[in-house]
Amino acid sequence: MTGLQNSNGLETADRYYAQYGSRAKELKNEGRKVIGYMSALTPVEILTAAGVVPLRLKGFMDEAITKGDAYMETIVCPFVRSVFDAAIKGRFSFMDGMVLPHQCDSMDRTSDVWSYNLGLPYWHFLNVPHVTDDPSIEFMKEILRVFIRTLERFTNAKITDEAIGQAIDDHNENRRLMRELYDLRKSNPPLISGVEMMKVLVAAMSLPVSESSALIKNVTEEVKKRKAPADGDRKRIMIIGDQIDSAAIAEAIESAGAWLVVDDLSIGGKIYWPEVDKTADPLQGIAERYLRKLKIATTFVGEGNTYEENLEARFGHLRERITGFKVDGAILFIYKYCDPYGFEVPAMKSYIESAGIPVLYLEDEYSTSTLARVKTRIEAFLEMIA
Amino acid sequence: MAYYAGVDIGSTMTKVVIVSDRIEASLIGPTGPEHRKLANKVMEDALNRANLRFKDLSYIVATGYGRINVPFADRQITEITCHAKGLHSLLPTVKTVVDVGGQDSKGIRINDGKVVNFVMNDKCAAGTGRFLEIIADSLGVPLQRLGELSLTAERATPISSTCTVFAEHEVINQLANGEPVANLVAGVHESIATRIYSLVSKLQIEKDIAITGGGAKNIGLVKALEAKFGSPVLVPPEPLITGALGAALLGKEKCEKALRDGYTPTRSKEGLQEAKIFS
Repeated sequence: MTGLQNSNGLETADRYYAQYGSRAKELKNEGRKVIGYMSALTPVEILTAAGVVPLRLKGFMDEAITKGDAYMETIVCPFVRSVFDAAIKGRFSFMDGMVLPHQCDSMDRTSDVWSYNLGLPYWHFLNVPHVTDDPSIEFMKEILRVFIRTLERFTNAKITDEAIGQAIDDHNENRRLMRELYDLRKSNPPLISGVEMMKVLVAAMSLPVSESSALIKNVTEEVKKRKAPADGDRKRIMIIGDQIDSAAIAEAIESAGAWLVVDDLSIGGKIYWPEVDKTADPLQGIAERYLRKLKIATTFVGEGNTYEENLEARFGHLRERITGFKVDGAILFIYKYCDPYGFEVPAMKSYIESAGIPVLYLEDEYSTSTLARVKTRIEAFLEMIA
Repeated sequence: MAYYAGVDIGSTMTKVVIVSDRIEASLIGPTGPEHRKLANKVMEDALNRANLRFKDLSYIVATGYGRINVPFADRQITEITCHAKGLHSLLPTVKTVVDVGGQDSKGIRINDGKVVNFVMNDKCAAGTGRFLEIIADSLGVPLQRLGELSLTAERATPISSTCTVFAEHEVINQLANGEPVANLVAGVHESIATRIYSLVSKLQIEKDIAITGGGAKNIGLVKALEAKFGSPVLVPPEPLITGALGAALLGKEKCEKALRDGYTPTRSKEGLQEAKIFS
């Protein structure tokens, strides 16, 4: 836990955000193995139990794709291309291996491109199913066992059920701590800005779970001491999307005179609300959390009897967040060529609007080069709901 | 008498409108790098036209792409809100506005002069004024003549590409095949109208419908849009200035509200200065 004791939380988050992966690199130099992974669908509990340093991979919105397109077709979504470009340029050269879960076609069908071009000592494609019925839970448990065996071979160490149980506790605790920090955004104005929160979320996903929890605790302590400024009449915005991992969009929203108070992003709200249940076979709880509790566009199949029931099961958590965080407007930010999220747009938009909350739907690149256009839309939206 | 100004710096044209209880002056000039740098020059010309001095203005609102490049403005408001406001003051029955500008096109739904929903095109020239400029150039027809010329077409040659670059190829190929220029221009209008119609259809279109921006000056495009909407499309007397007019009116509203609330609004900025951004 070096690097955390003598500095304050927000400053540390800011540093890890700006130098993404720097802590994993330090740990690598201390002899630990670093495994990069994509998406909210990778069961981090297993990586933690294996004793490796999990590093959620991200792209860099302010960097042009200069090398990746030589290996990966441009039909692939701009987010995956940006992460791949960063990897091929050596941004994550300290990684010992990588896990790519089957979230969507852009990940599934580029598996070969990643493994061949990166040539890492450890590579695993995690074949996550996309239906959530009971046979799929069995299938998920089976692929988790395969995943565990590959890690055991790679680390030369057994991953015990006890270690998995401990990892589940640690990650559940981590999620609870992050939700406590989210709670400090419920006041008006929020005690922590959306820009600061984005940096904490990004920093947290680059750290081993114990360090992530320590960081969140430090930030929470620090933010709790703040006095709320008397600037309370700004609109309260929720952002929804997949891996938005740059503070630039939060900055665009807040510089236009609103507060970003909550999110349903795959690096934020989506992963910090659902916990893993403690089950006799720990893999049962993990399978259920990743397949059924995570509201990811690719792994949801309606189980209700009616369309309305399906909508409630799929988006009900959004309504809770709208009420809990007193949201005035929602911004739905989808990357271009993102089929899974794109398909859901009409249903999600009408669901949120039916709760009386106006929605701004933005479809854009994974790049800050187009932010001026995005800003005009955000400003117009805020003027509209003023 | 209190005076208010709206400055709309679009991607292609800069517009200034000065209002009191009526429109005192309006001015339109090309944006370009120089004009953007010299937003104050356009303002000076408009002031001269209205026989006013800068200190006569109570409030200035900037809008459009270049709204941050107007150092003497008291406030920036997006073109969406300004267009709705300006158009509502001119044509109060309008509920759906189609704005065809130089670098984007947009649809705005209005209720009582307030924006209730809006859409903007992607970062692509399809369905915008730029598309028309490029096609006019490759056909060797002045932009201003496209509309009239298209009305003489026997039929509209179908242009299947919405991408500006591909559509230009298509037009050049058709030209080589001996297709009359008028038919091609009509086909291009048809293509843009289709694109704009599908964009605006994301809003619940309600009548009356109006068109603003440079595209409104093209009678061929207006007619093609009327055919798509199946209804007449209203054109304000000067379709370029609705954004600047709306900006001026929003400034006026803000000041009048301040007076009603019991305080006198003061201008936050003094005098005209050049924007430093492009120097």
